[in-house]
Amino acid sequence: MAAKPKIAFFDFAGCEGDQLQVANLEEKLLDILEHVEVVSFREVHTGHSDNYDIAFVEGSITRPQDEARLKEIRANAKVLVALGACATIGGVNCIKNFLGRDVYSENVYGTRARWYPTYEARPLKAVVKVDVEIHGCPIDRGEFARIVKEMLLGRVPWLPDYPVCVECKKAGNVCRYHLGRMCLGIITRAGCNACCVTEGAQCWGCRGLAPSANLDAAREVMDQHGFDRKHVQDLMRFFLGDTSAPL
Amino acid sequence: MTAYCLHMEQLPPLMAWWRKEYDVYVPVAAEGGHYDFAPWREGTEIAFDYDLAYNTLKRYFLPPSEDLLTFDLASYEAQAVFEDPKQILFGVHPYDVRAVNQLDQLMEAGAPDRNYMARREATVVMAMEPQRVADTAFWSTIGADVVSHGYDLHFTRISPANFMVEVGSVKGEELLLARGPLPAATAGDREAARKAHQKVMDLSRSNRLNFDWRHTPKLMEKGWNAGVWREKAELCLACGSCNVVCPTCYCFNVSEEADETLKTGRRFREWDGCMLVNFATVAGGHNFRTKALERYRHRYMRKGKYISDKIGELGCVGCGRCVRACTARIANPREVFNALWEDQANAD
Repeated sequence: MAAKPKIAFFDFAGCEGDQLQVANLEEKLLDILEHVEVVSFREVHTGHSDNYDIAFVEGSITRPQDEARLKEIRANAKVLVALGACATIGGVNCIKNFLGRDVYSENVYGTRARWYPTYEARPLKAVVKVDVEIHGCPIDRGEFARIVKEMLLGRVPWLPDYPVCVECKKAGNVCRYHLGRMCLGIITRAGCNACCVTEGAQCWGCRGLAPSANLDAAREVMDQHGFDRKHVQDLMRFFLGDTSAPL
Repeated sequence: MTAYCLHMEQLPPLMAWWRKEYDVYVPVAAEGGHYDFAPWREGTEIAFDYDLAYNTLKRYFLPPSEDLLTFDLASYEAQAVFEDPKQILFGVHPYDVRAVNQLDQLMEAGAPDRNYMARREATVVMAMEPQRVADTAFWSTIGADVVSHGYDLHFTRISPANFMVEVGSVKGEELLLARGPLPAATAGDREAARKAHQKVMDLSRSNRLNFDWRHTPKLMEKGWNAGVWREKAELCLACGSCNVVCPTCYCFNVSEEADETLKTGRRFREWDGCMLVNFATVAGGHNFRTKALERYRHRYMRKGKYISDKIGELGCVGCGRCVRACTARIANPREVFNALWEDQANAD
């Protein structure tokens, strides 16, 4: 490899939990940093430069003025990586999209709402071309490391395209539906090793829909197992509000 | 066949003895009224009357993820990785032993799978006659209620506190007698074991095939265009659950990953499944089974015909795990085979 690629981290609406996951790689991160030059990463590093090759962008776009900044990042970067659910699928920010603009503006900013222009939350790809997506809320550190290594080696980063059930069954979990619980693992993209189910919860859908998710079948499954539409809708809107697939 | 009598109280000291050298796995109660295999420890309550282990035992021979090679990115040197932990699987039902026997044949054929064989050879299988039958199981209707080989010992509970233990291998006999001699099974013990088998067969009458299972491969051949494929596949989530829980599904995908220094790396394999959308995607990006119908039919063709063409037995042992694992309730080999049978009976 010639010169070390320069990388930079940016954030929009989000909690910066994904950058924190990157920082939490600790020793692995130090090894990875041998192969790159970090020009901007405010979680772990001071200073900033607009000269970078790979931009890791966290957060979703929630204000008109975010668009100009994101487009500038896109113009500077050779590769733009969406980092985490807010950036890849809009994530929890999209819950507000089901309320009127006046309602959420006033909820957040009260009487000063008109000073703060804000609109429906959306993923980065609604505004610019995204080259690589690293899914999850938060992202999986191991997957981040793998994808970065694949990019550094000139490989096309690989993402699982099947539902979470595959990894959940590999982990040996008892299916949530067999315990009378609803779970979005049947339509959600894998890659998390079914961590939430393994820890006793259910899948919330944070990695977005699997590309070939069969939503009609999922609706049938949820009906058959006796879950009402309101319950399904609430869970679907938690992370998947930006998809056009309310069940 | 040599057989001994073992008292329930003699089992824990034996387990403790075996555990000095082996990882011992036994059936235990799991969440939601299910059962699964777990490591035996002092005080572990063994679920002798479990109906079905939630997960398959293939994970002990073909783990969900397994390293095959380590390599050096600079010198291109590679080193094969083999792991063969010594392990005992206690309480394996006959249909599951049959599944292991089937994997043995398939993994040995052609270029033997040395990773699988290393683990298999280091494993002692202690079979056990079931006492209960899962509501999704149909092993008794396809001749998978008994197994003639592939186990080292075979336990049958002949009274609340006694087992008759048949010997399947020298290794098994050594392990059984490791703590001292045991009384040989009497004619009465053998009769009690026969009755125990009859009793569980009586319990398994509800899920029947409507025809002799030996007709299945022929049925599949004629059923290529049957309506059942479309009807079921429409509801397929392509989640691979039926593949992953199947004791005879063994497909895997091979990948490579470099370590963080980008100097060395590993090649590993992970379970794959023919129900996943891109299972049949090949180099160049062509997917030769893009439709859910094609994938769904393929799975049953494997179970009902292709495996049979290779080794003369069905690729399904009737454990009923896929029936349970499928949230869409479409994965049921017995239903599919019966539907094909009805179709063809009506056509004739």
